[in-house]
Amino acid sequence: MLEVELAGLKLANPTMLASGILGTSGAALKRVAVSGGAGAIVTKSIGATPREGHPNPTVVEIDGGLISAIGLANPGYEEFREEIAVAKEGGVPVVGSVYGFNFQEYAMVAEAMQGYGVDAIELNISYPNVGKAGAFFGYREELAHEVVSEVRKRVSIPLFAKLTANAGDVVAVAKACEDAGADAITATGALRAMAIDVTTAKPVLGNRVGGLSGACLKPVALRCVYEIAEEVSIPVIGCGGITTGRDAVEFFLAGARAVQIGTAVLYRGITVFRKVSREIAEYLEEQGYGHVSEIVGLAQR
Amino acid sequence: MHEMQVVEIKKIVRETKRIRTFFLDLDVNAIPGQFVMVWLPGVNEKPMSASYTRGDLGITVLRLGDFTRRLFELSEGDLLGIRGPMGRGFKIYGDRLLLVGGGVGVAPLAPLAEEALRDGKEVTAIVGALTASELLFVDRLKRAGARVLISTDDGTAGRKGFTTDVLAELLEEESFDQCFTCGPELMMAKVLEITRSKRIPTQASLHRYFKCGIGICGQCVLDGTGLRVCKEGPTFRDKELRRSHEFGRYWRNAAGQKIYFGRR
Ligand SMILES: Cc1cc2nc3c(=O)[nH]c(=O)nc-3n(C[C@H](O)[C@H](O)[C@H](O)COP(=O)(O)O)c2cc1C
Ligand code: FES
Repeated sequence: MLEVELAGLKLANPTMLASGILGTSGAALKRVAVSGGAGAIVTKSIGATPREGHPNPTVVEIDGGLISAIGLANPGYEEFREEIAVAKEGGVPVVGSVYGFNFQEYAMVAEAMQGYGVDAIELNISYPNVGKAGAFFGYREELAHEVVSEVRKRVSIPLFAKLTANAGDVVAVAKACEDAGADAITATGALRAMAIDVTTAKPVLGNRVGGLSGACLKPVALRCVYEIAEEVSIPVIGCGGITTGRDAVEFFLAGARAVQIGTAVLYRGITVFRKVSREIAEYLEEQGYGHVSEIVGLAQR
Repeated sequence: MHEMQVVEIKKIVRETKRIRTFFLDLDVNAIPGQFVMVWLPGVNEKPMSASYTRGDLGITVLRLGDFTRRLFELSEGDLLGIRGPMGRGFKIYGDRLLLVGGGVGVAPLAPLAEEALRDGKEVTAIVGALTASELLFVDRLKRAGARVLISTDDGTAGRKGFTTDVLAELLEEESFDQCFTCGPELMMAKVLEITRSKRIPTQASLHRYFKCGIGICGQCVLDGTGLRVCKEGPTFRDKELRRSHEFGRYWRNAAGQKIYFGRR
């Protein structure tokens, strides 16, 4: 009832771990697969060289979500090889998330990750908190097209492009990615946001600004998925504030074929994937559907 | 939800030349072993064990790097941001308890001793430091009613040597229901080796580089277990740590690279 095929990947259920949540080590990724029940796991975004990221505080809790600015911290792709090997012990598809400061870095790291045995690549052109990396390539369709084309030349495994709702025209960016050879679109990453402490009159985050995630991002992400799914023929993966099975169902109805879950790990624990899967199945049974694919895009018509 | 609470420093106590306790205007009822994220506005945020867990929150800090140096420049009345208390604290089992603390690692053990003694338990604490003037909370532990055994690396107080030397000798003579330890990781690894051979269940409080502190970023996950030090920890049982090939060998820096303790 819940198994899905996503750009050639076989998932036992449509819930995936979103990039950057528990994805920094193989041990954590494996736990999300084995104990958490995720249908697929996405690694932390990995780049060409090690990065310590932004100073703390890197995360602040607010009503209905989080604002975070980890700053693309990662050990560099070479050291990440052994983490992928451990993550694969989880027995579910492993998606390698990749970011870069230029096209060459994206292509080189994506190719290396393919060599380490990941099942798909997700290009992070969504992350808003590091100047000329990540979302820098996702704000405008020309740059997005170029990143995807460059990577496409070097990797043969499925290629996802993860977009940001901060883009000028997110649908145009999605179409550019499809045109450049992407196999799926992930929508969306965190939205630019900030928090200020009124006692000290200082921004709370070490990076001053960060990315908004969790429930308060959901309506924006849902709108993006709805508009993108209408315009592209490749699968769309919904991401942003999904906490319950009902939330996931909304994304399927908008046209998503799978969903990614991040911040909800905070509210419902590592087993949130198992819980959301069960709740999706309950909805399908209640409504008399036999398979999750039957509800994809229903709200479009 | 763990909101950032910005509060005044009520009182600063000089414990040793390099260790100070900061009492904050924040009423807590924490479990010994739990931690808070301490934000120095405009500078950084780091995890610290609660060293006073009831009433005004206390944190006890060793001056080590840039963050703690800046913290030591603060005065009473200055502001700090606090998230927490968070994480899993120590759990007391049995009646005869043994505490092994090295350096500033005594910080979470002192409130544990006080709590246990209040509940009528018997507490023996082994307290170690480089030198006599760096010993932490010896008087506090004695005042609470604990038996205190001391070691210093240079022999200026108590037995010359390490806490683990005192531990090994003590366990030749006596037995305990539960052991609790906090201090340098290589010391704790040795403590666990010794208590394991004597079949004394042991809980250890680990230190790792934290980012989120709330179990979502993955920075602090222990290899071999998938356990998050900030969420399932920072206190762990010996049987949990036995599954980790990371414990006692390495930790991960802010980039997630492995940094080995001492020799590989
Ligand atoms: C702490 C944290 C770290 C993140 N790191 C990344 C990252 O490295 N790469 C990326 O593509 N997205 C990253 N994200 C964004 C998430 O993958 C996700 O797109 C976003 O949080 C919205 O989903 P959610 O509301 O379910 O969390 C991060 C989010 C959080 C909260
Ligand atoms: S510090 Fe983020 S998971 Fe522990």
